[in-house]
Amino acid sequence: MSQHILRGRFRDAATPWLFVGPWLLGLVTLVAFPFAASLFLSFCRYDMLSAPQYVGLHNYQRLAQEIVAGEGFARALYNTAYYALLSVPLSIALGIALAVMLSWNVRGRSVYRTVFFLPSVVPIVAASVLWIWLLDPNDGLVNWVLSWFGLPPQLWLKGHEEVLWTGHFGSKDALVLMSLWGVGNFMIIYLAAIGDVPRQLYEAAELDGAGAVRRFRHVTLPMLTPVIFFNLVMGLIQSVQAFTQIYIVSEGTGQPAGSLLLLSLFVFLSAFADLDMGYASAVAWVLFLLLVVATAALFRWSRSWVHYQGMR
Amino acid sequence: MNRIDAIALWIVAALGAAVLLSGLWESPRESRRMRGERTEVVFWHFWGGEDRAVVRDVVDRFNASQDHYWVRDVAVPGNNLDVKIFLAVTGGDPPDLVNQDDPIVADWARRGALTPLDELASHEEIEELDDWLFPAARRLGQYDERYYALCNGLDVRALYYNETLLKQYGLAPPRTLDELDHIAQTTSLVDNRGNVERFGFLPDARRLLAWGAVFGGRFYDESTSRITADDPANVRALDWMTSYRDRYGADQVAGFSLGDQSLPGKTFPLLSGRYVVVMDGQWRVRDIAASQQRQRTAGEPVTEYGACPLPPPAGGQSEAGWINGNFFVVPRGAKNPEGAWAFMKFWSGFGGHETEAAQTCAAGGWIPVASAVVAEPEFQSYLDRQPLMRVFVDLAASPRQIPIPVIPGASYYDRQLRDAGQRAMYDAGAPPPRTLLEQVTERVQAHVDRTLESPDAR
Repeated sequence: MSQHILRGRFRDAATPWLFVGPWLLGLVTLVAFPFAASLFLSFCRYDMLSAPQYVGLHNYQRLAQEIVAGEGFARALYNTAYYALLSVPLSIALGIALAVMLSWNVRGRSVYRTVFFLPSVVPIVAASVLWIWLLDPNDGLVNWVLSWFGLPPQLWLKGHEEVLWTGHFGSKDALVLMSLWGVGNFMIIYLAAIGDVPRQLYEAAELDGAGAVRRFRHVTLPMLTPVIFFNLVMGLIQSVQAFTQIYIVSEGTGQPAGSLLLLSLFVFLSAFADLDMGYASAVAWVLFLLLVVATAALFRWSRSWVHYQGMR
Repeated sequence: MNRIDAIALWIVAALGAAVLLSGLWESPRESRRMRGERTEVVFWHFWGGEDRAVVRDVVDRFNASQDHYWVRDVAVPGNNLDVKIFLAVTGGDPPDLVNQDDPIVADWARRGALTPLDELASHEEIEELDDWLFPAARRLGQYDERYYALCNGLDVRALYYNETLLKQYGLAPPRTLDELDHIAQTTSLVDNRGNVERFGFLPDARRLLAWGAVFGGRFYDESTSRITADDPANVRALDWMTSYRDRYGADQVAGFSLGDQSLPGKTFPLLSGRYVVVMDGQWRVRDIAASQQRQRTAGEPVTEYGACPLPPPAGGQSEAGWINGNFFVVPRGAKNPEGAWAFMKFWSGFGGHETEAAQTCAAGGWIPVASAVVAEPEFQSYLDRQPLMRVFVDLAASPRQIPIPVIPGASYYDRQLRDAGQRAMYDAGAPPPRTLLEQVTERVQAHVDRTLESPDAR
């Protein structure tokens, strides 16, 4: 084997690595290293100014105590769960509904598609400030529209109540509403998936006498399940990570009455306002483990309802 | 692979290696930057808008006044200035001087992130500072009996009232809490469905610190180093605040709560007629003057406004309240702490700079930190032009104007108190104020104990 070929082989092997190199560098220094460091720090007391001090399971014990007492971490966990359990299913339902309607062959279809996708490209800060105005209990547009239908004004971002338990829309419900407004990203994926459904399936269904509803129920929906599942998992992760809009609408404090203290903000405040990076890391790791378990459970559950074409 | 590709790959590899290496080796500490013959002082602050021009003017005047230092001001706008500074300090490249208003002095000082002022100033200067500063300004800068911050402006709250409306109702500005309650009940407007259209007055759920002080309460016992949020006077204060929830309903109270005042387009709710009496800071004097000027220009009748101290209940404290302020800190590791100290004195007026400080405060509508600055003719003539401001300036001198305790965990304490106030006022099913405040005491004490357990890095 000549020297030339050897060098050529080395180059062939090295080239892909060099191309992914910059990305890999970012992954290692900005993701993998902090990831590992935070695991270590979760067993430490660390205020970021003095050296971390190993305290064993202390931070996790504190978490457990707070869960038992129903405060601190427990409240943040509850707030996050409430938000995720409402926003994820609703955004899936709304996303599918919009996508189906936008797949109909009507005049100005592309205009509608653009309009419904538009909110997803509005900067999150601008959108949040806009929502503060829209949802103002006294002068907000949303309550004004509600009043047309004789509905009483809602407190939205200024209320700590939860519509599921009290029938009044509060701050977390407002957050859910804000997330639904930005459903365009999911909608686009459904729309693409709908376009991929083979025509012959609809034709076969029609020959069998299926109407529009049954075609949707027995053809469209099953064909969409892989995408629904994808959006379910991504939506769950996104809703747990939601931070910017919560920070803005609650003035960085999780107010009113702690009802907007979701886990991401809780972690942030613990780390940077209370200078307790160790505890914040422990919370983040528990959060990570919960997400892993939830995702694994979703994958298991998906076997019973997700339909992959040509695969089983 | 051709030659170009090979070169490109080597460049990528070299860049990657450079990034890695720069992370591994701490860059050599930059030495003090020079500006001609002078050394540079890097100054971070959060002022923007109209205030930015005032800051620029102070900096220009300082730079023109002497030939040792050159201040370069950097506006670092937005929230989380504390985090940005904190990371700069942790990363080893802090500015020389920072203006702050978050309750961070104790937390940072304890961990050695701040340069104590006695390392910059002489013993005599520190003693003089004790007498020179207003009590509240002194409290804001001290932790563990040492100065870690120099207050440069105080933020004082008082009650603003719509004098024109009060007169229509035949009412005088409130001197006691009962009178305030009476005003609230007489001038509030409630429609036939129970919706409040205007509150005569509504206590701000976030401001238990202010009303606790008015009721004679203390939030921290220095002699025992204990958190005392559940001081009986504080409980009475929260009971009183909660009485508004009971009268008007939790939803009405929550719906009227004051949101982020800095939101663009939000007018001062007193001016929009949503309140007859409202508690706010001295910066509203500017808004009121502007509103009256607009009315004058438009030829409308001019609405009169007044301001008065928070009125105490029987057995309470007059001229009491919650105060905070802006203060300068010199991060540990600053390259030019001497220059920072010179500029701090120039701005605050300490050490013979009273006239300069009076000019600064008059330009910005800021409250000086010492009576010597207030007494300056330039500031007095400003007060003559803005008589409402005098109420706030008088209050600034009161020893009963109390900041949030300067203790580690102060920002956690602040959040817990706001949270308790909001639960009490917005939630009809909340535990009674005493229970809420006992919970706050317990949580914050645990937090402080945890913080104090960790090794003192100083």
